[in-house]
Amino acid sequence: MLRSRSVYLLTVLSLTAASLRADEPGRPPEPEAPAVSAAEAFDAPEFLTQYCLDCHQGIVAEAELDLAEFTSLEKIVAEPETWNKILTRVRNGEMPPLEAESTPTTELRVAAADWIETTLRQAACDDGISPGPAPLRRLNRSEYGATIRELLDIHVDAGQGLPVDGAGGEGFDNAAETLFISPIHAEKYLEAARSALGYAFSDPRARRRFLTAEPDEDTTPEEAARDVLDEFLPRAFRRPVDEGELDPYLALFRNAYERDQSYDVAMQFALEAVLISPHFLFRIEAPNPDSQQRLVGDFELASRLSYFLWGTMPDDELFRVAEQGKLQDEEVLQQQVIRMLGGESESDEDRGRRRRRRGNDNEEKVRQFAQSFIEQWLGTRELGRGFKPDESVGRYDSELEGGMKYEPVLFFQEIVTENLSLLNLLDSDFTYANRRLARHYRIRGEFREQPSRAELPEDSNRGGLLGMAGVLAVSSYPHRTSPVLRGKWVLETILGTPPPPPPPDVPELEEDHEGLDPQSLRERLEQHRSNPTCASCHSRIDPLGFGLENYDVLGRWRTEVDDQPIDSRGELPDGTTFEGPEGLKQVLLARKDQVVRNLTAKVLGYALGRGLTNEDYCTVDNIVDELKQNDYASHTLILGIVKSVPFRYKPGTDPDSAVAHTHPTRQEVSP
Amino acid sequence: MTEPGFPISRRTVLRGAGAALALPWLEAMGPAPARAAAPDTASQPPVRMAVMFMPNGVHADSWTPEKEGRDFELSPTLEPLSSVKDKLLVLSNLWNQGSDFGDGHYVKTSGFLTCTTINKTLGIDLNCNGVSMDQLAVKQSGAPTPLPSLELGTAPVSTGVDTNVGYTRVYGSHISWSGPTNPLAREINPRLVFERLFRAGQPHTDAAQRDRLLLDSVLDDAKQLRGRLGVADRQRVDEYLQAVRSLEERLERATNSGQAAWQPRVPLDPEKKPPADIPRDFAEHVRLMLDMIALAFQSDTTRVSTFMFGNSVSNENFSFLDGVKGGHHSISHHQKEEDKLRQYQLISRWHVEQFAYLLNKLGEMKEGDGTVLDNSMVMFGSGLRDGNSHNPHNLPIVIGGRAGGRLATGQHLSFGKDTPLANLYVSLLEAFGTPVERFADSTGPLPGVLA
Repeated sequence: MLRSRSVYLLTVLSLTAASLRADEPGRPPEPEAPAVSAAEAFDAPEFLTQYCLDCHQGIVAEAELDLAEFTSLEKIVAEPETWNKILTRVRNGEMPPLEAESTPTTELRVAAADWIETTLRQAACDDGISPGPAPLRRLNRSEYGATIRELLDIHVDAGQGLPVDGAGGEGFDNAAETLFISPIHAEKYLEAARSALGYAFSDPRARRRFLTAEPDEDTTPEEAARDVLDEFLPRAFRRPVDEGELDPYLALFRNAYERDQSYDVAMQFALEAVLISPHFLFRIEAPNPDSQQRLVGDFELASRLSYFLWGTMPDDELFRVAEQGKLQDEEVLQQQVIRMLGGESESDEDRGRRRRRRGNDNEEKVRQFAQSFIEQWLGTRELGRGFKPDESVGRYDSELEGGMKYEPVLFFQEIVTENLSLLNLLDSDFTYANRRLARHYRIRGEFREQPSRAELPEDSNRGGLLGMAGVLAVSSYPHRTSPVLRGKWVLETILGTPPPPPPPDVPELEEDHEGLDPQSLRERLEQHRSNPTCASCHSRIDPLGFGLENYDVLGRWRTEVDDQPIDSRGELPDGTTFEGPEGLKQVLLARKDQVVRNLTAKVLGYALGRGLTNEDYCTVDNIVDELKQNDYASHTLILGIVKSVPFRYKPGTDPDSAVAHTHPTRQEVSP
Repeated sequence: MTEPGFPISRRTVLRGAGAALALPWLEAMGPAPARAAAPDTASQPPVRMAVMFMPNGVHADSWTPEKEGRDFELSPTLEPLSSVKDKLLVLSNLWNQGSDFGDGHYVKTSGFLTCTTINKTLGIDLNCNGVSMDQLAVKQSGAPTPLPSLELGTAPVSTGVDTNVGYTRVYGSHISWSGPTNPLAREINPRLVFERLFRAGQPHTDAAQRDRLLLDSVLDDAKQLRGRLGVADRQRVDEYLQAVRSLEERLERATNSGQAAWQPRVPLDPEKKPPADIPRDFAEHVRLMLDMIALAFQSDTTRVSTFMFGNSVSNENFSFLDGVKGGHHSISHHQKEEDKLRQYQLISRWHVEQFAYLLNKLGEMKEGDGTVLDNSMVMFGSGLRDGNSHNPHNLPIVIGGRAGGRLATGQHLSFGKDTPLANLYVSLLEAFGTPVERFADSTGPLPGVLA
């Protein structure tokens, strides 16, 4: 009886689902190969009936989750938190449980998870885009170093002694959720402030920058100190300060001056206090007391911009525009972004002045962004850290390491500053190399110890991220390449579809044998895929990795291993076949929108400094639509993010909307 | 639950409740009055506690010693400990139930000393749902040492989040948790550790007084600020407040010469300063870090330290060992292949050698009638037994040192299958002079461990 009623209700649900799919507004049909074809054809009512309702139904429903109550899409999307939990458990393969009588195939699980995710995100977008949380966070280690450098105009990295930060959210170390503070931070900040100021006070050039007044016959030490703090405090706190905010620092100055009668000593003392103040160490935005979302303040926006695109504090010009209250003006905002990226959109007069005054400052700052983003996205930060190859794989010296490390950074920086197509990431006719890396790649031309731009000839076997030695190295074992690791890397990093973890108690794939020749490695992998449990993921993973077998651990080109020719053919689950890196590039270019969508989500997560929510994917989708219409030009991506609701607004504090804004995706909450 | 000096229910603490606990909890815990471990005079050396965490498990078949009790025979992997055999406690069949969930590594690292199940997350709601055993010891002892504890490692926090299994790698890089949402950052540069020990141990009274003025100003700023923030944001500012406050307490102790004044038991020798850069040679790096623990204990700069040989899933390249080719994690997935097992065993044994190095080093440091080792307990272990199966049953755990005679060393003790690891922690906390009735899923002390 109960069952039949549910089936009836679920039929209603299925009709609603079909109609929702039919009238997705403003969504052009995708001409490309979809990521998971099963998701399109997913039959939610059938899945629920078959795999869920046996346990989750009625008053005795497991975990008090009665799925029979969800008789329409409206009811599902009305409880996003519940369905986010369900999503996580299905995505993790924890539900439906493996020990159940009938269990879905991995494809079907993935399809179910994708369906839930799409449904929730779709609903979130239909409600209009909300900004999502804007949590307070401290400067991370590199932001700290860069900010001190800018503030004091010194050329040392004051953040060097701080503990390294971990990553959260979309995988970056600027994520608010993982920027915790340990007791060690207090003493490290004190130490760092002291040594940075010590350096700055002893450097005549730096002194001129921040020590804007010194006592003389017309100025008492205290007046001079007030002048200095007047200039310094707003820059350090990245906002205007009240008159009263100066007083405690002035009191510290006075105290130290009375003791030592030294202007320098007392001034340094007061400035140390500024640099360990939470107003300096944290990026603080005024809470929004309103129930409605509102634009962030001009100075807050200036900091959001500068930490996104430069990884440091705003410069004088950003402060000036913020002070004029113009930064939220879309046209001004756009000009500033282009200026920050090193492009030109300001008046000729301004440009000339800026050039004379500042030279290549912004280039270095944009590099900070390029490096921080790309190294964490690709995992190439491990070069010089965790990646330590065996001697047997070839000579790996510091010049090669440097070349490998900076290739993707400078490459991405050029894409961003020159407004190039993001599809260069998949295939390009240029890259960056130093002398050692150029030799490694067998590229002809004049190269030096510093990396420079390199035009790639047709037959270079390079171009795009997948031809970069750094990428190929960090997706290898220290002593040999692994099609599985590289395939997983492509799925996770480029396509944004990480395979689920292997089921428990299933042994790792046996691919590793001493002296195994490549042919038998392939055979072994194929054999392994004849096991359906393994095949469901490895049929997606392995072929992608085989396409890269022509690159060795250090990314050098090879055509044979141990006298056996390399077989770099791959066949994807949908029957597509390809060969070698060039073939793989075509496979990925055929999925370019998926690649670009993944990249957009990563850059948005980086810009916001937090993990993305369902609502944020509306922003991602809008930006991807714009990118499609603009030849995937990088500025469309950056400007799309900067002009987006989550970047320019802060959420309201209405309790209802607060709930809607705090549920994360892909996160486990105990039932 | 009615121990003197324990203002709130410990159960509440151990169960944890994330953000709700943040600062009020810490305030309520307060600096406990001097307890059992605290009365230390020159004649009665203090007890120290260290934990050495090894990632990726061990070669299981060559780990467990033959025979139990006092007549045990060291296994091939434990053989490097032969010179200190009578100062060892080898423990078999302990397990960590809280970490029997989630994935193969992260939960087994973050939960190693907490015996809890961590939240599965890429970042939001990061929570270990407990406090680690070492930090409970710190909080409860209230020892007047310059540093409450010393967290060390060799690798920086691993980059990124693991979307494959759905955990932030922050979890895999921390074993010490001072609260449910407070992993403790580690120092990995030996020189910086040394300088920190040196600074902490020799505060110049005048400078300390000045620093206190600075910190007071920070505290004022932070207090004002937190009043203006929403609940969620307050937590971060509170963390900073707490960090500043503990630094201030240290300076306060340094400036108030009186009964509580701390004196180094053996002054740090500036000559022992390690090189400025982290050595590229992994073995040398590890030894320098262990030297720092030894110096910190000898000087009494701190009495609690944790050390991570590597982060979860560390693929440290062990090709520097004869007969080993490749990374630690990949070799630990041995699939029962003979050649890989052999390499895995060599790596396990190498870690034990480093453990022996620290024990011997402490054993050479004279203190009263004995050595620093006699007054220490150094636990060595991993959060999983076998790297191929990743399960937290029968964990590889050894303790070195006699904790001032409180540990019944010189034995191999084997317990009933799946005896809680937390029971060991109850016993170790007792030996440290900071007894608790219960820790996480403990069911009582571990019989035979205490002398």
